[in-house]
Amino acid sequence: MPELIVDAHRLIGPVPFDDLPEDPLPEMGRLGIHRAHVTHTLSLYSDVRAGNEALLGLGDPRLVPVPVLLPETFEPVPDWDVPMVRLCPDRHRFELTGPTALRWLAALGVTAAVDFEETSPGQLITLARELPEQRVLLLNPGYRRLRVIAELMVAIPNLWLEIGTVNTQRGVEWLAGHFGAERLVFGTGAPVMDDCGPRFLLDHLDLPEADIALIASGGGLL
Amino acid sequence: MILDAHGHLGPWPDFLIPDPSADGMVALMDRIGIDAIGVSHLLAVGPSAEEGNRLAFAAAERHPGRFGVWQVYHPHQRNRLTDQGVWGVKIHPDVHQCALDDRRYDPVWELGLPVLAHGQTDSPWSDPQQFVTVARRHPHVPLLLGHAGLWPYGFARAAELVREQPNLHLEICGSKMTGRWIARLVELAGAERVIYGSDSCFLDLRTGFGRVALAPLDDADRALVQGGNLARVLGAAGRVFGPVPEGDLS
Repeated sequence: MPELIVDAHRLIGPVPFDDLPEDPLPEMGRLGIHRAHVTHTLSLYSDVRAGNEALLGLGDPRLVPVPVLLPETFEPVPDWDVPMVRLCPDRHRFELTGPTALRWLAALGVTAAVDFEETSPGQLITLARELPEQRVLLLNPGYRRLRVIAELMVAIPNLWLEIGTVNTQRGVEWLAGHFGAERLVFGTGAPVMDDCGPRFLLDHLDLPEADIALIASGGGLL
Repeated sequence: MILDAHGHLGPWPDFLIPDPSADGMVALMDRIGIDAIGVSHLLAVGPSAEEGNRLAFAAAERHPGRFGVWQVYHPHQRNRLTDQGVWGVKIHPDVHQCALDDRRYDPVWELGLPVLAHGQTDSPWSDPQQFVTVARRHPHVPLLLGHAGLWPYGFARAAELVREQPNLHLEICGSKMTGRWIARLVELAGAERVIYGSDSCFLDLRTGFGRVALAPLDDADRALVQGGNLARVLGAAGRVFGPVPEGDLS
């Protein structure tokens, strides 16, 4: 088992469509996950600002806040001291590659996490062209679009991939073989998505131990 | 004994499966301790049941004891079925575009073997309510409701429906399933009605098995889900684990 396991994609708080654990810590403890990058569900399903405030007030070193960035044309850029922000261009109805989002991302200079279902390959390529230094973590890439993912990984050197939903037979090994373990990041999307399967997969990847440890601790990104 | 109820071999057109091979499957089974997996070939699920079934039997013959064959029945091609050397019959109403309770599937039920069918909440072809209909029509046929209905919003309803019908079981593979939901399904339907499947090679064997291995279940319930229930279903039906005898299937 890797010495340090970091879940790059986790939620804290209630959701509107299910009765899920609001506190991620008990399940993280049960599954041997030492640290998680968390976004507050209020920022996804209710009020972005309220969710971010709740998140930034957590003060637990096991939970690294990933506030949701909602670019507003007439608002100042937030001065958060965080390693990563999350953007939801589809959910929050803004352009990932619009002038405001680009200006805010350039000003913040931190990793941007985006759910693949919230964006498009074209938008990601445009983002990389406009902000070539921008590091992007693609959340929830799924298992049905490996061909598209591969193109993006080739085209965008600063793109990392969360592997929790890379769920077809030996998909993670295929990606590691082409792009190296340093481009892959362990994450789950729990509790909405499953953490048990990805956690088990991590321990049973057909990769060198050093590669598994790298993926487990956030690839070359976190 | 750990038995995986829902496996496949071969490629699928929608997306890239890096390793769709039988050898690769057995290597992963060995890696995580799975004794046997029931497979249908994806060619059989798709356009050619007869040729795909032949490939599944050939794989089972190459790896004795590791693959049980779910022979696919194609309701439009009406391929011959065997009652020898198989775990049962696999049908996919959504791919076949033939509703589960359509009479064109009658040869499947008349065979009397266990049946694994794709299940998908709100699908016109394979909604869990249709499983109740055919389970009532054929109470002596063990029927596995594939994916427990696939979509999380339908899991609880699928569990309620299964609980009322003794020959109906929830099979739990699918990309939307979680360890947490597996524990809930056990609570709602009863541990003896929930059966582990992975959907590998379509999905990764390790992820599917890991959901059960790490689900918040007690050891007794986990053992039932991981293989005890399927062994009972197959055993009750007199199934064998080896390949079909040569020449038994045209």
